[in-house]
Amino acid sequence: MFCEKSIELIRELHRMSDGQLPAFNEDGLRQVLQEMEALYEQNQTDVNAAKAEGRADLIPSIKLRHCCLLRNQRCITAYLYDRLLRIRALRWEYGSVLPPNVRFHMCAEEVQWFGNYKKSLASFMRSLGGGEGLDITQDMKPPKSLYIEVRCLKDHGEFEIDDGTVILLKKNSQHFLPRWKCEQLIRQGVLEHVMS
Amino acid sequence: MFITDIRKEFYEVVANQRVALLVASDIDALCACKILQALFHCDQVQYTLVPVTGWQDLSTAFLEHKEQFKYFVLINCGANVDLLEMLQPDDDSVFFICDTHRPVDVVNVYNDTQIKLLIKQDDDLGVPSYDDIFRDEEEEGDDSGNESDEGSEPSGKRRRFDEGAIERRIDRQRAKREWEARRREILFEYEQYEYHGTAASMMFFELAWVLTKDTKDMLWWAVIGLTDQWVHDKITRMKYITDIATMQRHVSRHNHRNEDEENSLSIDCMRISFEYDLRLSLYQHWSLYESICNSCYTSCNFKLWTLNGQKKLQEFLADMGLPLKQVRQKFNSMDMSIKENLRDVIAESSMKYGMKDIRIQTFGVHFGFKNRFLASDMVHATTALLESTEKDESDGDNFIKALDSLSRSNLECLHAGIDQAKKKLMAIQQTVASCICTNLILSQGPFLYCYLMEGTPDVKLFSKPMALALLSKYLLKAFVHSTRNKRCKLLPLIMAAPKDVEKGTVIVVGIPPESETSDKKNFFGRAFEKAAESTSSRTLHDHFDTSIIELKTEDRSKFLDALITLLS
Repeated sequence: MFCEKSIELIRELHRMSDGQLPAFNEDGLRQVLQEMEALYEQNQTDVNAAKAEGRADLIPSIKLRHCCLLRNQRCITAYLYDRLLRIRALRWEYGSVLPPNVRFHMCAEEVQWFGNYKKSLASFMRSLGGGEGLDITQDMKPPKSLYIEVRCLKDHGEFEIDDGTVILLKKNSQHFLPRWKCEQLIRQGVLEHVMS
Repeated sequence: MFITDIRKEFYEVVANQRVALLVASDIDALCACKILQALFHCDQVQYTLVPVTGWQDLSTAFLEHKEQFKYFVLINCGANVDLLEMLQPDDDSVFFICDTHRPVDVVNVYNDTQIKLLIKQDDDLGVPSYDDIFRDEEEEGDDSGNESDEGSEPSGKRRRFDEGAIERRIDRQRAKREWEARRREILFEYEQYEYHGTAASMMFFELAWVLTKDTKDMLWWAVIGLTDQWVHDKITRMKYITDIATMQRHVSRHNHRNEDEENSLSIDCMRISFEYDLRLSLYQHWSLYESICNSCYTSCNFKLWTLNGQKKLQEFLADMGLPLKQVRQKFNSMDMSIKENLRDVIAESSMKYGMKDIRIQTFGVHFGFKNRFLASDMVHATTALLESTEKDESDGDNFIKALDSLSRSNLECLHAGIDQAKKKLMAIQQTVASCICTNLILSQGPFLYCYLMEGTPDVKLFSKPMALALLSKYLLKAFVHSTRNKRCKLLPLIMAAPKDVEKGTVIVVGIPPESETSDKKNFFGRAFEKAAESTSSRTLHDHFDTSIIELKTEDRSKFLDALITLLS
């Protein structure tokens, strides 16, 4: 059946619905493009035949193939666009350096796109705050307080905060620290935010 | 030194600093810690919280953190030992100690710079006066100065002066020996008995009140801390009643809202109420029958380990007109008609069976439609979580779980704790029944002794200090009710249970004799130390309560013999 492969691509993305990026399915994409080429060739011959010989009975099949071509195009563009949206979300989630396993899943063009997006975002952030720059990727939700209580889940050793003081992060100890210093460690899973 | 104004001398000093909180592992300490944390959150004081289970833990935690912190707050640890000698801190470290352990070590009392005690000065202390214990060294210097002067006198006068000088020296030495003997006596008397003072959580609640930052949550935690002292038999009944009265003043202050038809509070708001409730553990979360069978007071008075006792219980229930079917089902599903007057009905009937004190003053909390807890329920649940013996859970994990269960938003944690507490209470009752029926309690002369063998069911639960202490208390009460020997009723009890089978250690707990008017003063701390020294047994006096020690199994018998000779 036509358009099966392109639906598979879409389903692949749909399965990983929580924003994860699966590997770039080059094979699948190539197969869809090949299918499109084949359809196009067939349509081309049929259109020529219809025009030359006036065969009106070929028109429905031409129409069908045309619809399939359009559908494949839509599916491929949706696939590529959705991947770009996910990659964009990664910048906000992980920061400007992506972990290597995520990078592995991106194709070369996507990596390039990511680089360009990073540059745009950085120049935008620099232009905020009257030329001083403002890091808008911090504090995504409005913070309720300057300091938060965190609990240490594993031994992390010594940790320095802005005013130079050093804190020993030992398992099961709890600390009351400025929230901007803790966010990174919370994302890494070393600390856990305690709400009471 | 004692702090007089807790706000100025403690809170305002630490408000702009970073503080290390070293918290002992008991419920009062946990509640005090929660109150202090809430205050620190209000004022954004940066702190680090480290749980400690014994003296070694305390030293390790101090060593790790002494570079980074200048101010240390110790909760329920550190007052009864010479802290500066133990930790060897730098001169600028300051320790704020809020500890219920008494007697407070005299060095801690009289140190003016580094040790600040967050304890009220009149809190039942009896500290010896300064001159009785410390002697200024200047007098010695003067004497030797005089002697050298005299030595340079011309020889003609020397003999006369020498005689006078020798006499004076003899007098001085005699006075010094007498003074030292008296000092030893005073210190011995002062440090002989170990007991407990006002709850740490109540001290911190008072701090919150003075700062007018007290909330109902903090009040509830203070009540739980006080109830912990009562449940684990650390304070006398008189003190408990007095402290309850203090808390009642705060509770009525917080409840003083004009609630009427139009302005009533939402059902989800927290309400604390004074209750003159039954002494049946966890009865609102269990069935009434189970609770009666597994609560120390009723079980000992009925002697439920005997057949006669079981019959009496059935009679008791029949006397109150409570059908067995109702009484055996979950409390919440009992008929409303029965639940309404339950307390009064039970109190009346129990008078006939010799239980005059089945009701006790306490507090209950109520938030939402389903959540109603008594203070003692919370204490049992949190203790069960703190001393949970499940595998792969370290002491730190248990501490964190128990700390979490005190917050109102962690109700599943609390319910898990209640389930564990029920299992623990049932295990205690069964152990008590088997010990009494098989006469495992032996009288050794000056004390009673009981040893739990390794194969006893649930013996793992009793490798923890508080659980073992609770078991000992119940066992002693049951023993006193079941024995006919009048002399044995006045003896204290020592209990031993295996702590770690691989390392071959046992945990030993000593509790004072059981009596209505007991002042809960425990002399076993010093006794254990002396016995261990004299027999050179391998003991570990790691716990903050000196009456709980660890001992190698092989040294058990010689340690006991030494104790017998010491105490007879």
